[in-house]
Amino acid sequence: MGSVLLSSDWLIRPRPERRFVLKFSVASASAKPNKSRSLVDVLGLNLPSGNMDDPAKFLLRRLVRRIPAQMLKATLEKWGRLNAEQRESLNFSQSKWALTQELEALCEESRLTVKHIAELEMIYITENPNQMMWHAFQLLDPEDGALAVELMQFKELFKCHLRELVRNVSVKIKKHTDEAVWIRMSWGEGFSRLSHLNATYVVHYLQTPYVFVSGLSPKNKPLLLQVLTLSTKHERIKDANLSGRKLTAIRDLLLRQYEHVFPTKYPSPLTERNQSVSNLHTEKEQAEASAKRHQMAGQAFGNGVLPALQSAVYKLETKFKDPTNQTMTEQDEPFRCVVKFSSTNLLESLRHCASSGIASTPVAPLLSSIPLKGRNYFVITDKSPSANS
Amino acid sequence: MSLLAPFNKLPTLNTASILLVESEEKFQQSLAVALVEEMTVTVNVRLARTLPLPLENDESRPRIDLVVFIINLTSDLSFRSAKASLKYLDPGYFLGKVCFMATNARHASVHTGLLDAVRQLAVSLHCPLLFAEDQTPEDVKSSARRLLTILKVASGLVPNTSALFLSNLTRCTMPLDIDQPSFD
Repeated sequence: MGSVLLSSDWLIRPRPERRFVLKFSVASASAKPNKSRSLVDVLGLNLPSGNMDDPAKFLLRRLVRRIPAQMLKATLEKWGRLNAEQRESLNFSQSKWALTQELEALCEESRLTVKHIAELEMIYITENPNQMMWHAFQLLDPEDGALAVELMQFKELFKCHLRELVRNVSVKIKKHTDEAVWIRMSWGEGFSRLSHLNATYVVHYLQTPYVFVSGLSPKNKPLLLQVLTLSTKHERIKDANLSGRKLTAIRDLLLRQYEHVFPTKYPSPLTERNQSVSNLHTEKEQAEASAKRHQMAGQAFGNGVLPALQSAVYKLETKFKDPTNQTMTEQDEPFRCVVKFSSTNLLESLRHCASSGIASTPVAPLLSSIPLKGRNYFVITDKSPSANS
Repeated sequence: MSLLAPFNKLPTLNTASILLVESEEKFQQSLAVALVEEMTVTVNVRLARTLPLPLENDESRPRIDLVVFIINLTSDLSFRSAKASLKYLDPGYFLGKVCFMATNARHASVHTGLLDAVRQLAVSLHCPLLFAEDQTPEDVKSSARRLLTILKVASGLVPNTSALFLSNLTRCTMPLDIDQPSFD
């Protein structure tokens, strides 16, 4: 055992015992809130620790990031799961990350679960529905009792039919102040745990045949549509071809809750409208034509403030028609083309186009069918010149 | 075809009449309010979107002394509509009784071809081309003042001048460098 032999041993052999180990303390992640970031959070690791489990924390963090700072205080008050002194202790002027840490600690104190956080998300979405993509569906062929379905009955029927079809889903139904029924659903795959992160929201106004859905995956779509049809006592449901970000806008369009103008043979005298040019020495030469255009634009789109629809898509599958371009016109297949109109308020801009003469009046049926039929996705083929689905 | 004729009606004492033609019908309203404020002369303003003017108003319409075409340089449609309306004017108007007013020349989305086309049109018709802004009330007032100067001459209220004399001084000319061939 001379020292020379030992040293040669060390040089040749690798050192199997020494491995690089990233040491972090699991216990500190669930300790009282501390101002410095622990390595866990910097790396974004979700470790099972503490009372609040991962999905709840993740959902809470995502929610706090999503809710703008001004609304957070009011939304937490409405939630009601934290008592007054806990809410007082929150400092809303600090950064969102620090606020999230404090909130997590408070939620752990009160032993809140992911279901409670889901409630908070639902409250926020109900107050601000204009941020997600909504799709409208229409219920058809009502049975005898369809108009008499009221809230309790709808709730029971919905839950009952849903249980029959799907096992692993969590549902929360709430009635909003303006007669709308809001449903939040979290789906789970097979027997695995429910994922509360991509929830589906459904809004239904009882006694109307319209349903608005957001966040639905194609896999769960037939299930949800079937449940909705059965629980509202209708026979069929179809896609209304209307979608948009602002729920209030597409709801107002479908339920026709904006000011309409009805066709009249003798419109009101011009002096009521043109207040700006009221001087004796100024006169409009073509006032009649202008009033007629206004009237027709109003008949097609409505008066006053119109629902803020933001886009309209026309999918053309018609043959190419241009007498100057022989090669393209000779093709037999239809020329596929998609035209998309987008604007901050599409209906107001179309109405302005018609009333200022940029679009010819009477308003073309393709444009006027947006408010008339309540849809903003059209497929146009050669056989019938009007829009069909 | 009913042409608008410059001298087929009698003038009224100390009065001037102007016709503003604009396809968007916005600037003409504020200009009308500013023009009517003139104290020394009674100004009658008529507003139209395009020519020809409706026949029903023919009797009540005074003799139009100056026709102003307002063209928005950001919109191709207003230029085309003004060009199409030119056919309905009697050729007698083009001896100093027609004026072009271009708005929004400082806007970022102005197509340079459009500005050249408007200039070309004004040059070929021997008419003045004014550039005006319509954003603030002061801009509107100054545009109205310039129009009033031309209007007073065109309606014969300024002694020793007539519209034809003035048009020789104010008509639009093409700057020489535009006529030369481009470098690329």
